[in-house]
Amino acid sequence: MSSDKTQNADTRKNTHDAGDLGVNSQIGRKLKQYYDDLVSDDVPDRFTELLARLDKGVAKPAEPKD
Amino acid sequence: MSPDFRKDLIGTIPSLRAFAISLSQNTDKADDLVQETLVKAWDKQSSFQLGTNLKAWLFTILRNEFYSQMRKRGREVQDSDGTITAGVATQPQQHGALDLKDFRAALERLPEDQREAIILIGASGFSYEEAAEICGCAVGTIKSRVSRARSRLQEILHIEDEGDFGPDSITAQVLGTTSV
Repeated sequence: MSSDKTQNADTRKNTHDAGDLGVNSQIGRKLKQYYDDLVSDDVPDRFTELLARLDKGVAKPAEPKD
Repeated sequence: MSPDFRKDLIGTIPSLRAFAISLSQNTDKADDLVQETLVKAWDKQSSFQLGTNLKAWLFTILRNEFYSQMRKRGREVQDSDGTITAGVATQPQQHGALDLKDFRAALERLPEDQREAIILIGASGFSYEEAAEICGCAVGTIKSRVSRARSRLQEILHIEDEGDFGPDSITAQVLGTTSV
């Protein structure tokens, strides 16, 4: 199947993969915006503290209990 | 005792966390995931090969952790207190004015495998090969997941295809539902 595309002209653009997620696509742009938003969140202190503890060889904090 | 390793770990936390939130759609769970990942990474640091991609390595650990927790919890539905769920507006605005909130809600409706694929490729900056490695699957699988994710998002958000498929979204929906 997948011949749902009309064989006229316009399909020749070979979307070699998943299609374009670049800045020219609305989805691509939103995806970036969504993600960059998350990335720029402040990192909770617990993580740097955790690493400091691990670094000192202090026992890790109790496993999240559930 | 490796200050560099620690520093590098710290450097990746923001993107690890972004990935965790994208996967779990819940900040608390995401933070637990990140914590687990850091502890595991610390324990396994000797197995990390210097010079290889630390970020990919960490993403792999986090992803495994996510799926194993999900299995443990018996696949409880991950509706995050309804906070982000809100619901997709039925009539998104015209081109270019897509609201981030709607986008987030749409993203949340994707199956995990598609969501993670489109995030890894479209946002985290991994190559298809790296994403395939992180997810433990074939490159082709990643490609098709991304592609399905993309069409699904367009469908949910009523975005007309921006040129590479041709048929309008209605056609795409019809094709999508009848052929799968």
